[in-house]
Amino acid sequence: MQRELSTFPLSPNYLQKLSIAGYNTAEDLKDVSPIELNLSLEREEALRIIQTVRSTTEPQQSSKTNQITSSNNVPGSKNAYDILLQEQSYGSIVTFCEQLDDMLGGGVPVGKITEFCGAPGIGKTQIGIQLAVDVQIPDEFGGLNGEAIYIDTEGSFIVERVVDIAAAAVKHMEHVAHSSEIDETERSLQTEAMRNFQVENILSKIYVFRCHDYMQLIALSHVLPDFLLEHSKVKLIVVDSIAFQFRHDFDDLALRTRLLNGLAQSFIKMACENQLAVVLMNQMTTRVKTSQLGQSHLIPALGLQTCTSRLHVKK
Amino acid sequence: MNSVERLDVHPRIITALKKARLTSQASILCMSAADLQRTTKLSHFDVSILLKAVSYALPSPAMKTALSLHLGSSKGQRLSLGCQILDGCLHGGILKQGITEVAGESSSGKTQICLQLCLTVQLPEEKGGLGGAGHPVAIIPQVEGVMICVGWGAVYISTEDVFPSKRLHQLTQYFVKNQTNLLNSSINPSDNIFIEHAADVDDLRNIITHRLPVLLNRGTIKLVIIDSIAALFRVEYSFSETSKRAKVLRSFGAQLHKLSHQHRIPFVCVNQVSDVIQSETKRVKWKSQSCYSCPGLGMVQYVDYAIDVT
Repeated sequence: MQRELSTFPLSPNYLQKLSIAGYNTAEDLKDVSPIELNLSLEREEALRIIQTVRSTTEPQQSSKTNQITSSNNVPGSKNAYDILLQEQSYGSIVTFCEQLDDMLGGGVPVGKITEFCGAPGIGKTQIGIQLAVDVQIPDEFGGLNGEAIYIDTEGSFIVERVVDIAAAAVKHMEHVAHSSEIDETERSLQTEAMRNFQVENILSKIYVFRCHDYMQLIALSHVLPDFLLEHSKVKLIVVDSIAFQFRHDFDDLALRTRLLNGLAQSFIKMACENQLAVVLMNQMTTRVKTSQLGQSHLIPALGLQTCTSRLHVKK
Repeated sequence: MNSVERLDVHPRIITALKKARLTSQASILCMSAADLQRTTKLSHFDVSILLKAVSYALPSPAMKTALSLHLGSSKGQRLSLGCQILDGCLHGGILKQGITEVAGESSSGKTQICLQLCLTVQLPEEKGGLGGAGHPVAIIPQVEGVMICVGWGAVYISTEDVFPSKRLHQLTQYFVKNQTNLLNSSINPSDNIFIEHAADVDDLRNIITHRLPVLLNRGTIKLVIIDSIAALFRVEYSFSETSKRAKVLRSFGAQLHKLSHQHRIPFVCVNQVSDVIQSETKRVKWKSQSCYSCPGLGMVQYVDYAIDVT
């Protein structure tokens, strides 16, 4: 939207006034109301200027939203039924653990943020890697046939473990393909799909980013939207863990909260715009009650209020 | 690296940044888009361009696929403990990178494992060590002008009591007897083990932030052991200072992680266990705890792999 205002069909008189007032591009006029645009013009004239600029820049956006919300006049708004249908069409990522899937209503939801928190060594990374593999299950098996981004801040992404999990997933899918009672055409489709669902293919579709400090994590959150444009099949972002880099050598707690909220916000944006699932891993911290000395219990570190569902992993 | 002038953005944005006195990239990234708009008086779109440019300018690690990581890692992925049963449990030993925690009750054999690791690390890779193909690997000029041969070695930071040199000597004799064909006879394995003693937390901080990096930069050290990380902290901080203790521990953990990644070597930290008394029922239960809430100290959050010795 950096289009110069001089390229719009406006009279030279208006253009001059606009440039004197400091409006040079269409972007500058985007959020300005006719009243704010006080160029010693009549309000109707100001309205006409803004309408001319907006009508030429915005039609692409509004037409896109109109496709989804068929019976709606207000662009950008949807009714609850449409949203329900849309969410159902997204599907979810199965975890291969029946109880966990039931708890989540069929798996980790796409388009939402899910947080896993638990004590160290409890299996959070295991879940993250498992999801990164499971998101790649082919369509023929009812999977998402997607790709995964794994943001590793702790250095706990151990590739051997990924290989083991991927091999087990391949074996499981082969077993499913052989044992399920389906007709021949579907079976041949499944065996065809299995040819592409091999360990090496799975590994090549997990994109790993290793972040060493919180700056890199924030920078990555700005860069990722571009990466997602190139890799449109990505259906899952795992951040393991969101808390680690913020928990040491950080004195300004207000800044920390703001940065974390900003990060969460950009992940939500990615989740909504690209229809992908975001999984955040969180560490635990001990809360000691001053009233009862010696009594303590574990709570999630850095309370993130933004996630849709939060799971405590416990022994 | 930190100057904003070299950013790939329109000059007018850079001028606005200078006017707002935002000179470092970090300070820009720490602000929200709305804050930036207010302080620099740039439009929403300009700010989003600016944030992207700053993000790209930061030295960030490139994306790797899991496949390239897998192909990049060599076959001898782990460091053997020199015991077949333990290696079997651990898929061949401890990880080549990252922090491994060894926790257990006193006299359960934690130090024994560490000493054993100091020796096995000197073996060539196919035997479960981390050494290269050739021995010796480096010749370091000494102060007096005498050259000595040094193999792949280990650093042992001892905090609990004096370094058990007698036990190491016994282990070394046995080790040399079994591995004579592998090791150059001119090398005494115990020559490659550097020992450091830390008496308090400040000492330990000094070692891991200043002296250890210097030694690691020589490139011959393949393993660092801290025996034990918890001992110092347990003495120095009282119950009311637990949050301070946790803070210092966390920054230590982060520093160890950084070193481990920079030099691609494993760190082993020994941890003690503490008893957790549960008095929910009438009978008081004593439970030796590990892994569950915290073995000794909450160091675990920074550990990639924990071994519990019982």
